[in-house]
Amino acid sequence: MITAELTRPERTTTAGRWYLERSGLETLVAALRADGRTVIGPTVADGAIVYDEIRASSDLPHGVGDVQAAGKYRLTTREDARAFGYVVGPTSWKRWVFPPLVELNTGMRAGHRVEFTPTRPDPTRLAFIGVRACEIAAFDAQDRVLDSGHFRDADYAARRKAAFIVAVQCTTAESTCFCTSMGTGPEVEHGFDLALTELDDGFLVDVGSPAGLELVQGALAGSMRPATPVEVYTAAADVAATRARIGDPLPAAGLHDRLLAQLDHPRWAQVAERCITCGNCTLACPTCFCTSVIQTTDIEGNAATNERAWDSCFSPGFARVAGGSFRTRPRDRYRQWLTHKFGTWWDQFGTSGCTGCGRCITWCPVGIDVREELMAIAPPVALSPEPARVEPVAASFDDFVVAQVVGTRQETADTVTLTLSGADPAFSKGSLGQFAMVAIPGFPPLPISISRFTVDGIELTIRGAGPATKAMCALKIGDQLGLRGPLGNNWPLDRAVGRDLVIVTGGIGLAPLRPVIHALAADRRRFGDVRLYYGARTPADILYHEEMRAWASRGGIEVNLTVDRAGPEWDGNVGVVTQLFDHATWEGANVVAFVCGPERMMQATANTLAGRGVTNSRIFVTLERHMECGIGLCGHCQMGKYFVCRDGPVFSLAQLGDIFGREGI
Amino acid sequence: MAPEITASVEHGRTGHGGSPHPRVGVVKFASCDGCQLTILDLEDRLLEITEHFEIIDFPEASSSRSSGPFDVLFIEGSVSTPDHLRRIGELRKQTRVLATIGACATSGGIQALRNWADHDAYRSAVYPRPEFVESLARSTPISEHVPVDFELRGCPISPDQLVELLTALATGRRPQLRDEAVCMECKRRGVVCVMSAQGMPCLGQVTQTGCGAICPRMGRGCYGCFGPREQANAAGLARYLQASGDRSAEDVGQLFAGFTAYAEPFRSTITDLGGTRGARRSGGGGGGAAGRGGPGAAGRASYLPAKPRMEGFDDDGH
Repeated sequence: MITAELTRPERTTTAGRWYLERSGLETLVAALRADGRTVIGPTVADGAIVYDEIRASSDLPHGVGDVQAAGKYRLTTREDARAFGYVVGPTSWKRWVFPPLVELNTGMRAGHRVEFTPTRPDPTRLAFIGVRACEIAAFDAQDRVLDSGHFRDADYAARRKAAFIVAVQCTTAESTCFCTSMGTGPEVEHGFDLALTELDDGFLVDVGSPAGLELVQGALAGSMRPATPVEVYTAAADVAATRARIGDPLPAAGLHDRLLAQLDHPRWAQVAERCITCGNCTLACPTCFCTSVIQTTDIEGNAATNERAWDSCFSPGFARVAGGSFRTRPRDRYRQWLTHKFGTWWDQFGTSGCTGCGRCITWCPVGIDVREELMAIAPPVALSPEPARVEPVAASFDDFVVAQVVGTRQETADTVTLTLSGADPAFSKGSLGQFAMVAIPGFPPLPISISRFTVDGIELTIRGAGPATKAMCALKIGDQLGLRGPLGNNWPLDRAVGRDLVIVTGGIGLAPLRPVIHALAADRRRFGDVRLYYGARTPADILYHEEMRAWASRGGIEVNLTVDRAGPEWDGNVGVVTQLFDHATWEGANVVAFVCGPERMMQATANTLAGRGVTNSRIFVTLERHMECGIGLCGHCQMGKYFVCRDGPVFSLAQLGDIFGREGI
Repeated sequence: MAPEITASVEHGRTGHGGSPHPRVGVVKFASCDGCQLTILDLEDRLLEITEHFEIIDFPEASSSRSSGPFDVLFIEGSVSTPDHLRRIGELRKQTRVLATIGACATSGGIQALRNWADHDAYRSAVYPRPEFVESLARSTPISEHVPVDFELRGCPISPDQLVELLTALATGRRPQLRDEAVCMECKRRGVVCVMSAQGMPCLGQVTQTGCGAICPRMGRGCYGCFGPREQANAAGLARYLQASGDRSAEDVGQLFAGFTAYAEPFRSTITDLGGTRGARRSGGGGGGAAGRGGPGAAGRASYLPAKPRMEGFDDDGH
């Protein structure tokens, strides 16, 4: 797993902390200008705080704040006169280190001769005032793209090197901010010459470089004194409050894998109906680096000038060759942008392409919020099923809690459902697909899937196959038994939100899927088509037969039944369960499948599903193995690298790979 | 809307009839002449151009006339009268490289707003003796009638794009006429988005660039005079403008009903939103010829607004 920590450079040396009086801001601007630099910083223009030349500190947006939301930006008046009491605006520093239009070279043709002359302008020495943490992360990202590795952008490198950076800690945040989720802020920790934290009457100053130190000890010395502990504390508390205010709007753990597993998610087409593919997000983005070369010639065609211009993967022509474009549909281009920014950027450059600055959200003219799209396309569930949400009880080898049988129901000739109560509240809070270790003294404890979660307990559906299960089936109301659990992971129902769900199961395999069906029926509109395919040995062996009618009639679930053999009274299907969808018309591109049954049946089902275009990452199976402890200690249930009890019992086929269905594992 | 580029740029290198330079004509159909003025406004650059092109027909600039043949013919204006219909086919036959210039020629122009209305009712309302006015029920772009090699969009066209096209024709290369959104130009120039920062409706997202984002630079929304860009999601923008700004379908439809209203997908967006306001007011009831079904198809049913609002016009629509 790639983590942000790996890429975070070391914190630059801080040579002490100073306090700068508010009036010292003017001294700072003047000193930078006296050093021959053009000072770029925040200033108010056209209803926004934009970065432009600052000639005096009075050009800064004193007392101006902002409110931002998806597709919306408005300036506000602050109650104080803070110079940096706003959140990043439409401009990014990219405009100065990677300008929108740069002359690359000129070409001449004279007779047989041609000549190319690189332009390579000598970059102006700049100073940036008001660089936020997310913007320093953007510099880092651009450095990796443009100024590392074998081929480098000399123009960028020169501009970047020539810039003096005065960072500002964020003491305010807007709804569009998500630096905390991207691991880039709000704390400025490196990559600056000086860093300011704005306080009521002045600034706490951190020094981040020799050039910064020189300024502090030179031109600024008269306006500075060592900071007091109260000032240091207040500054840190203000930034910490900003972090708390932002929260974690985009849970990003595993986002790279989450997103790249969703290349065929139906949401891509939905967002493309809203997206105008104008490209504003990419040009507002501080890290997007795509460009095109624009050539102009004289009318003789003998002199040409090449300029590099910001371009966008959203423009239809961006991926065009003589035969057409490779990304013809708007959905293709939206997917290209999002998967690059949050996914493949990691593979190419070792960081996220997103800094969490929120510009693409505010400056999307139609208010599309990438965080919402990401949460819909790649919700924060692990690629593998999630671990249990509640802590199991009696989670040691030697312990059981006691539960009482409060109801029994004969499901079929050999199968009984026990309703249990009084064990522990944890059981009723278990997750779909979890199991309990069930014990009666004198018999070995057995793993039994929970077939229903009730208000104060659970139901277990047990087929009397051996002595222990037969003993359990024989329990009467009022009898007690021992439980440990709930154990194992669960069916990833979240991954089926907005998709079609296919449930394929046989025999007692329906028991662990029954809670899934209950959950689905309770929240039916979040899912597309839901189809259950169930096979039993004979019509009399069909589990939950009465309940199934309700699933079909009121639950909006298509129920398809088959049996292995039947008498003349049965007018339904006869045959194996996979035959049930031989004639089905659905396409697999939007399907998530949950499968439970004998391993050979699951294998056949997986093959049939694959044939319909359901990929391995969307097929989930629950595995049965010999278990004695249920908590990964006894070693019985090992399957390859997994303990089925602890890492499963639900697995995606992508997780299992070629060990699924392999003989002798 | 963008026509196939069918002409070989090499054609520009040798002229018809042994002339050392390509022979150029500039003609007009239904239009205001503003695009022709843009050619004249090139001033000093025009002199250089005339060293490489022989202008044989340009009524706006010269009394010498020619009926062709042309190496390059610029056509301004839309096909709006029976006479235009007759002339356009003949001109195409006389021309190697046909370039249409301006919103009228490339989309039908502002006069194509009548395509949503009842043509006869409009004519009777405007002219005291309508029987003397020969006009077609619809104003249409040149490309609806003959193949077009290059389009210069805009109302009026951009002088820079004009020079680029002429330069490309003179040197035998492909002109660089970008098909991106106006937004791209706004962002490159550092123009603050008027939609996000002021809540002002702007068609820049769906409009082809080339103008240099002149309206947003002046603090107002783009009204789409360069016409829809490739794959313009006009319906998506219309939905957002309705949902986000408490705007009626009529108000949003009217935003698209400008100089390039008849260019798809602006055309079907306007029709879907109930037709043009002017058509409703004239009694045309939106049942003009601009419906989705193509020429002659009936538009959607619409209604007369309780209080007509037409910015810049008095209550009689003048």
